[in-house]
Amino acid sequence: MASEPMSIGSSAQDPPPVPEATSQEPKYGGHTRFELELEFVQALGNPEYVNYLASRKFLQNPAFVAYLDYLQYWTRPPYLQYITYPTSCLKMLELLQVERFRKDILSPNLTHALVTEGMKAAVEWHRESLS
Amino acid sequence: MDKKLDASFERVEKALAVLIDSMTKFTPSEKAANDVVKAERELFLGLEELEVHQRNVARIKQLKQETEALDAQTKQTISALWEMRKELVAVAPTKFSPAKEEKYPFTTQQLLDYARRISRNTLPPPGVTNGVDLSTAVPTTPDDQAATGPNASFATSIGGGGGGGGSGQGTAASTPAPGVQDSFVSQVPSQSQTGATELPVHLKPAVNPLENAPFFTFPTIDRIRSGALAQYQDLINRGIDPKNYDPEEEERRIKQEEQDRKDAEERARQEREEQDRRMREERERMARERELARQQQQQQEGGMDRRGSVLAPGQAGGQPARAAPKQFTFLDEDDDEDED
Repeated sequence: MASEPMSIGSSAQDPPPVPEATSQEPKYGGHTRFELELEFVQALGNPEYVNYLASRKFLQNPAFVAYLDYLQYWTRPPYLQYITYPTSCLKMLELLQVERFRKDILSPNLTHALVTEGMKAAVEWHRESLS
Repeated sequence: MDKKLDASFERVEKALAVLIDSMTKFTPSEKAANDVVKAERELFLGLEELEVHQRNVARIKQLKQETEALDAQTKQTISALWEMRKELVAVAPTKFSPAKEEKYPFTTQQLLDYARRISRNTLPPPGVTNGVDLSTAVPTTPDDQAATGPNASFATSIGGGGGGGGSGQGTAASTPAPGVQDSFVSQVPSQSQTGATELPVHLKPAVNPLENAPFFTFPTIDRIRSGALAQYQDLINRGIDPKNYDPEEEERRIKQEEQDRKDAEERARQEREEQDRRMREERERMARERELARQQQQQQEGGMDRRGSVLAPGQAGGQPARAAPKQFTFLDEDDDEDED
C-alpha cells in the first residue's frame, strides 16, 4: 500500500522467526513482521489486489521483485502451515516470479479472467471430488 | 655447428687445392699433403661431433613429443575433472532436498488441523455455486443432484438451461466492465426465469441464505482494507513511524495517563477539600472561641449586673456569698426529701 520508493536494502534477507509465546519481536504498528508478511503474501492471492499493485508500478520496481522472491519462504515449512488461503496465494506467488506475468497482470481482462476462473475452479474442484 | 663444419670443409678444400696445385706443377709438396691429412682428420672429428649433435637433437625432439603428449593428457584429465565437478554441482541440490524435507516431519493431527483451518477458504459452503451451472458439465445423476444441493435442481428442470446460462453471460459481457460479483449474480436469476416448479426469486433467499453468495479462494479487497497492512499505511498517513509503535500499547499509555491525570485531580480535590475543611474548622474554632469569649464577657458583664442588681435591693456587701450556698442547702433539702 505504501507508495514511497523502496530500496533493495530495506527488505530483510532472513525470514522472520516463527511466532512463539515468549518471543519479543519488535512490532510495526502493533504487528510483528511475521504477521504483516503473512497477511501480505495472502493478499497477493487476490488478482484485483495484484492488479492494483501493477497499476501503481510496484511490479516493475526491482526492489519489489526482490521482495517477491524473498517471500517465497512461505512455500516452505515451517511457514507453509500458517497460510490459510493456500490455493490462490501460492499459485500467485509462483506466477509473480515470472516477468511476463508481472507485465500481463496490468490488464483488467486477465485480472477478471483469473477471478472468474478461480471461482469456477473452487466449485468444480469440489464437484470433481464428489463424482 | 654448421660454421665449424664449414670451416673444416673449407680448410680441407684449400689444402686439397694447394696439393693439387702443387701436383699439377709437378712439384708435390709433402707439407701440403700433411695439411690435407690434418684437415681431413679435423673434418672427421667435426662430423663425429655433428653425429652426436644430431642424435641429441633427435632425442630432444622425442622428449618434446613426449611432453606434448603428457600435456595433452593432463589437459584431458583436468577437463574431465571439471566436467565431473559440474555434474556433481548440478546433482547436489536434488540429492539434498529430500533430506531437507525430512527436517519438518508432521503428525496426522497437525495435517487434519491444517485441513480444518484452510477448508473454509478452499471449499465453498453448501449451496454456493459461484454462478457455475453445476448441471451441464457433468451428466446429472440423482446422486449428483443430492450432492450439489437445491441450486442445481432448478437448472435441470429448464429445457434450455444452457441457453439461460448463455444469456446470463451475454448480459455480463455487454455491461461495460462489471464487477466480478455482479456478473455472477446476474447469471443466476436469468436461469430461473422460466422454471415452472421453482420458487419465486424473492423467496429463494429464505430457503437458501447463501443464495447468490460468491465464494472466493482469496481474501477479498474489503478484508485487505481492514487488515494490519491498512493500519500500517494509516499510521504512515498520519505521520507516525510504525516501527516499534503499538496502538494497543499507545492506548494503554493514554488510558494510564488519563488515569494518572484523574488521580492527580482527585488528589488535588481531596487536598483542597481537606484544606477547606481545615479552614472551616479553624473558622469554626475561632468563631467558637469568639463566642466563648463573648459569653464569658457576657457572663462577666451579667455577673456584675446581677451583683449590681442584687446589691441594689439588699444594700449589703456579703450577701452574694451567702446566696450561693443557699442553693446547695436547698439541694440538700431535696436529697433529704428523696430519702424520705
